[in-house]
Amino acid sequence: MSKTTTIEPFTAGFVEALSPELILFAGMLLLILVPNLGKGTFRIPGTQTRIPWLLGGTRFKFSSDPRLPAWIASITLGSAFLNVLYVFSQGLDRVLIVSESGKELLLINGFSRIFELIFFGALALAAFSSMNRLQVKGIGSKIPEHELYNNRRQADFYILMVTCALGMSVVALAQDLFVLFIGLELASFSTYVLVAFLKESKVGVESGMKYFIVGSVASGVGLYGLSMLYLWAGSLQFSVLAATFAVSGTTALPLIGIGFVLVGFGFKVSAAPFHFAAPDAYAGAMSPVAGVLATASKAMGMIGLVRMLLIVAAPESSDGSAVWLVCLGAMAAVTMTWGNLAALGSDNPKRMLAYSSVAHAGYMLAALTAVGAWNWDAAVAGDASAAAVAVMTALLFHLVVLVAFKLGAFLVLSILESEGGASRLSSLGGLAKREPLLAVAMFIFMISLAGVPPMAGFLSKLLVIMGIVRVAVGDMGAEISDGGIYALGDMHWVWWLALLMVINSAISVFYYLRVVVVMFFNEPEEGREGPLPRGWQVRVAILACVLTTVLVGVAGDSLIRLCEMAAQSLNYNW
Amino acid sequence: MDDWISMPLVGFPLVASIVLLAFVSNTNESMRRRLANPIRMATLVFSLVLLTITTGMFFQYFGNVSWEGISFNNYEFLHRYTWMESLGIHWSVGMDALSFPMVWLTTFLLPVTIIATWNEKNGATYFPILLAMGGALIGVFVSLDLFMFYVFWELTLIPMFFLILMWGGADRKYASQKFFIYTFTASVVMLLGLITLYFFQDPVNPLDYAGSMTGRTFDIPTITQHALMENSNGNWYLGANIQKVLFAMLMLGFLVKLPAVPFHTWLPDAHVQAPTGGSMLLAGVMLKMGAYGMFRLPISLFPHALQYFQLALLIIGMVSLVWGAIVCLGQTNLKKMVAYSSVSHMGVILVGIATMQPMGWAAALFMMFAHGIISPMLFAVCGAFKHHYHSMEIGAMRGMAKHSPWLATSMMFAWMASLGLPLLAGFVAEIMMFIALWHFLAAEGWSVFWMVGPALVLAVTAAYYLWSMQRTIFEGGDETQPPSSLHGEPVPDIANPEKLAMLILAFFTIVFGVMPWIALDMMHDWTIQIFEGLILPVLGNFNGGA
Repeated sequence: MSKTTTIEPFTAGFVEALSPELILFAGMLLLILVPNLGKGTFRIPGTQTRIPWLLGGTRFKFSSDPRLPAWIASITLGSAFLNVLYVFSQGLDRVLIVSESGKELLLINGFSRIFELIFFGALALAAFSSMNRLQVKGIGSKIPEHELYNNRRQADFYILMVTCALGMSVVALAQDLFVLFIGLELASFSTYVLVAFLKESKVGVESGMKYFIVGSVASGVGLYGLSMLYLWAGSLQFSVLAATFAVSGTTALPLIGIGFVLVGFGFKVSAAPFHFAAPDAYAGAMSPVAGVLATASKAMGMIGLVRMLLIVAAPESSDGSAVWLVCLGAMAAVTMTWGNLAALGSDNPKRMLAYSSVAHAGYMLAALTAVGAWNWDAAVAGDASAAAVAVMTALLFHLVVLVAFKLGAFLVLSILESEGGASRLSSLGGLAKREPLLAVAMFIFMISLAGVPPMAGFLSKLLVIMGIVRVAVGDMGAEISDGGIYALGDMHWVWWLALLMVINSAISVFYYLRVVVVMFFNEPEEGREGPLPRGWQVRVAILACVLTTVLVGVAGDSLIRLCEMAAQSLNYNW
Repeated sequence: MDDWISMPLVGFPLVASIVLLAFVSNTNESMRRRLANPIRMATLVFSLVLLTITTGMFFQYFGNVSWEGISFNNYEFLHRYTWMESLGIHWSVGMDALSFPMVWLTTFLLPVTIIATWNEKNGATYFPILLAMGGALIGVFVSLDLFMFYVFWELTLIPMFFLILMWGGADRKYASQKFFIYTFTASVVMLLGLITLYFFQDPVNPLDYAGSMTGRTFDIPTITQHALMENSNGNWYLGANIQKVLFAMLMLGFLVKLPAVPFHTWLPDAHVQAPTGGSMLLAGVMLKMGAYGMFRLPISLFPHALQYFQLALLIIGMVSLVWGAIVCLGQTNLKKMVAYSSVSHMGVILVGIATMQPMGWAAALFMMFAHGIISPMLFAVCGAFKHHYHSMEIGAMRGMAKHSPWLATSMMFAWMASLGLPLLAGFVAEIMMFIALWHFLAAEGWSVFWMVGPALVLAVTAAYYLWSMQRTIFEGGDETQPPSSLHGEPVPDIANPEKLAMLILAFFTIVFGVMPWIALDMMHDWTIQIFEGLILPVLGNFNGGA
């Protein structure tokens, strides 16, 4: 247990504490500057002297390389990722950054760090693998590869990726709802543009538009809820809100406010009934971007939910019977079932993955419900808070490994997409014949998504179910040893969410297996018999995802411990 | 070497098959065709190594372990390594007289399957997948950790799914998915049962090998020991209500795998579409995972609930027994008929368990073993039939005795073995089951009409087997033309590798029919041990329990 260091911005320790964010910031500046380096000169007015100042003009050979922005972005995000990993290996300092008037702004601890790992990891993989597939003229164009790179929009794309990462990490660090919202909007606006980035393709623009409109409405509703909370508590600090909530308890105003804020975050995690834009957005966006939406963006929304429900509204739920708990449980049940049923009927692999991501959101909401079923506060007896930590660990673990297999699946689709579309299941046909290793990778991602051992997806689902059951059972075992008599109905009702979860994962096998069957059984589509587009970067990224999926599934103990540490640091009284 | 299980029996086949598959998938089509033969030889040698190890274990050459006299919840070759410490998960392997026959059976069937399907297409990938299947199956039988057990339990689905999907019949797409989804659904319910059981342990007095994060353990021997202690205190381990619910949840997974009516519908589809090798392993070993799991978990942990559900299990077993046999009568597809006969034979196992007699359980164990030798032969015959006559219909080929004497002889032998001809392995199990059931009915004072079902089944089984034999082997011949599906080609007989496989299987069917004690002794000893160690202390001297 380490104590909290409190520092003000730009004082000693600030740079060390925020080094990943500063790396991102530096990378962003580089992304703006470096591709513009050229032989530009500046004429001193009134003279004929020209001073070379290197901006503009004819580009240098290296700065006109279309892959340059991608490299800068990948290296930036990758080094931010490594920086966070290094911080973890060095042992964490808990740093609180406060404003001059004493307002808590950002908190750096295990919880926020692990989310930074998720964000930077996902975005680095997406940036690296989109290096050789960003197209000039939209989906389906037959432009040779070298021409694809000669496109000045490259830089914009990667700048947006880095701002997205920056916004997300602000969300992870925020200790003030307003700061959190600023980060959320920074990340959201980047993703809106990223979704619509292929402006030449109709589907991209349409989906971007839909995503933007629905997202803005959700943000607006969230902001409205924010204003109600401000009206009620007079502050948007988490600590103040939690304290006020503990005192005043269940009154209408804060509950309505929290409800509205949940709409905003519910949209981000694509929880039913706020998920309608997600399938359109995923299907229209480029696959790596869709992968980011399904992993990093979802984790960002999950932070909001965790902060709001467990820190702000937790005292209300001490007996596991709070109003919002029932709402959240119902939402989880509807979300996972709806996602899975909708995925059953979809022929577009990207839509299918989108609905599967809705279903996964349902599993995570179920875990969140289970956390809320016990008082999160450390004042409660030992095992209760240990159970809450266990569920939280499962939630974090799920979000981390989701990056490996969900993003990996999107990356496999992205190879097919750059070949000429991946919007029908049949476009995966014969993948096992065309490139066996890629088909095996996709197979591993699919069974991992379905939760088949020994993949990481199984372990994460197991942890979530274990967490829920643990909360539901509590320490009945000890009571039974002492002669207590219990029946199934004595368990907390969240156990039924676990049952619904296993039934849902059985349903989900239908559509995941369908992908496998198409890859290994069906013949390739007409005109797609030949080898797949080349590009080692995306394959390296897929390999990284496969290795993570398998290795974490087989030996996930250290990651579980890491997540456990992060979950423990969430507890406000740590 | 001390640990004879982890690496030699489980790790080696899995790793070898993954290496082979990774190697093969990096080559092109023509290279793969040339690689088929060396890879086939390599997998045959690997599987023979496995068979050597298990046979050596039986003859006490490796490890010097006597398979008799192992008391309940004790295991030989026990090894435990920490796997995921935070959750109390260990890589924990060991065998007792319950699992050893199954392990030997798996290692025995693996080379036989390779020989019987010697000329399967795409051999370079087919044979490594068979090897992986073997490794996963052995993993199920040797796991002594709930997590590890579940991992291998599901791992067996993957190679079998691909065997059906890539090498199966015309409708393989449907069959492979149905197989996977059906059994997976039951397994996840079982998984929830396992996890609920896990958290009902007492965290205040943690058991051995508990996880640092949870204070509970997945270790099967520890849990079994604890359950035995609680059960024999006179109360139900975990309380009556919860014990019943958990028993039902675990049993669901095992009954679907067995399969028992009404959960059997995946089996005929999977069998009919599966390639011969897949069918042989599926019927030979994979179905037995269900019966093995019943003994290992629900029965060992919840004997009270077993007694409570005894009638239900007896009814399910009877219905499987009778229904499977009756449905066989209506089949025109040879392989489907054999598949339903498997359902019927699995009913024998369930009835044997439900009698709660030592002899009934020994009968169940021996049925697992005997059916594991006979049913691969049945499916090898079906596979050869399909391969040579391009049809599975019973009427498609007539007068086989004249055209294809080898196939006709093998078929007749396998059919006779399966319908329970004395001096063949299947008979021993069936007669033991009858005696146990009779004894149970007499001791409990139940109506003798319960015997009508099994007796009826004997007649019905003989009827459908003899009928199909008469139609394919003896009838016709000279007068009838060779089947039109042959397109006028000469009628072939089975190839040499197939003959060899048939001979091996027939030989062991006779060996275990004439000298059943080779395997039965240790099974009988195991039932004695579990009755002395578990059933009698827990349930007392209930009717017919002695």
